[in-house]
Amino acid sequence: MDSFELICPAGNPAALRAAVDSGADAVYLGFRDATNARNFPGLNFSRDDLAAGLAYAHARKVEVYVAINTYPQAGNPEPWRRAVDDAARLGADAVILADLGLLDHAARHHPELRLHLSVQASAANAEAIRLYRDAFGVRRVVLPRVLTVPEIARLNAETDVETEVFVFGGLCPMAEGRCSLSSYATGLSPNKQGVCSPASHVRYEPRDGALASRLGDFTINLFAEGEPAGYPTLCKGRFVAGGGAGYLFEEPTSLNAMELLPDLKKAGVRALKIEGRQRSKAYIAAVVGAYRAALDAFAAGRPVPRPDLDAMVEGGAQTTGAYTRAWR
Amino acid sequence: MNDPTFTTDGRSMDGQVAEDRLRRIEAGMTRLGLGLAHRLGGNRLGREAEGVLFDRLMRSLAERHPRAFAALAELPEARLLIDPQDAPAALMLRVGPSLSLRLCERNEPAEAAVRSPCARLLDLFEGRIDGDALFFRRELVIEGDTALILALRNTLDGEEIDLFAAAAGMAGPLGRALPPARRAAGRLLGLMDGVHRALPEPLERGLAALERRLSGRLSGRLGGA
Repeated sequence: MDSFELICPAGNPAALRAAVDSGADAVYLGFRDATNARNFPGLNFSRDDLAAGLAYAHARKVEVYVAINTYPQAGNPEPWRRAVDDAARLGADAVILADLGLLDHAARHHPELRLHLSVQASAANAEAIRLYRDAFGVRRVVLPRVLTVPEIARLNAETDVETEVFVFGGLCPMAEGRCSLSSYATGLSPNKQGVCSPASHVRYEPRDGALASRLGDFTINLFAEGEPAGYPTLCKGRFVAGGGAGYLFEEPTSLNAMELLPDLKKAGVRALKIEGRQRSKAYIAAVVGAYRAALDAFAAGRPVPRPDLDAMVEGGAQTTGAYTRAWR
Repeated sequence: MNDPTFTTDGRSMDGQVAEDRLRRIEAGMTRLGLGLAHRLGGNRLGREAEGVLFDRLMRSLAERHPRAFAALAELPEARLLIDPQDAPAALMLRVGPSLSLRLCERNEPAEAAVRSPCARLLDLFEGRIDGDALFFRRELVIEGDTALILALRNTLDGEEIDLFAAAAGMAGPLGRALPPARRAAGRLLGLMDGVHRALPEPLERGLAALERRLSGRLSGRLGGA
């Protein structure tokens, strides 16, 4: 039985080393600009950082994937093309792309470069995935976080393209790459500028012992004293509707699919992805180490250890999300 | 099942306990240092001495982490208040071309502020703990310019910072005094671990109280200076 590949995030060189040292099979990262979907202040890699990171990872037989997964802006495709060209020149093992034009550029100019389809492309059916394979030679697709395990199994049965799924971390409940909630509130787009709830538009304010989180001109949540807090994203905002305040889209919670390893293996999934390029090296060491131990035990047929990752998760809550759709 | 003998990063619990104790001692030493500097700042000469001390610490950190300090100097000028809530004073970090660190009152105006107990801030600064996780648990308070706080957090997290090594790298009497003080604390902890195992319960409780006093967790001991 082939083992799962463990794909781990890195927002800076120290985080890359933490991921490699903690048992990643591959590390994914982005450049320090709008070409990737975690374009936050102080985060990400210069070209020199990537070269050093590649040397560190390859010396330890770990691969490095470069996420260039936002959509080039009209009339300004150059930063995105240059990112693909530089990733290829420096020896990245794969690039993770979402835009059709950029996939075309990569396929034409770097035929040896392995192409992965980003979750930002929201490819959720076999026909779409086969089209990306046939047109551009895409070898792996990162599935959106809206499919059940049986749906993933059916999709894998209908295509030979490898599938990668998120198993831990922030949970985006929307059609990824097409969500405009944050753009509506801030004027900046997760899909074009790489910033969902940009920090420049986020404020936290104390209110009589409670904590208010604001995005742009909107108060999007009010956490009572002692209540676990969450990210300031509109999809996890608390809204008043029908006379009461509640979470209309999703609660502040994190994905953890460790208990689904046997189901994901049966469904034909090739790689498991941990979310969190914006998180610290301490998070990365803890979560990657926990998943490495779990995958090694699972591959050896031993009981899977279930370390306590509660301290790491948004809102102090974990879920198997759409994989099990417990709410239905 | 959770494995009770190992943490998620594979360290043994004994190692983890010793590490936690050392961190408590370091937090106590930091609170003591802030308290002394706070008292020192009561007159003009003291304020000058305090300025020299913090400038040397910043230079020592910058020599060890040039990448991070270059990034902080490139930020637009802004003040970030760092408030160790259980310490007698707070710190004001100025980012931008004239990067500096000074002691201040915790209600001083700033573009942004981060507030948490001293030990948590040390863990955060030295990359042992995840800032988002602290925030989710409401153990870290963030006020003002979130982008500035995020830029600082992400920049520092890219480094492997040892504040005590940097302080020991300063010229002058404090630089010379810190390594022996830290070694002595380490030796004392090792001795305590050995004695803990051999002691009957009432004496062990007494020793635990002494250890709490050393690490500044008894009211007003080290932190209230």
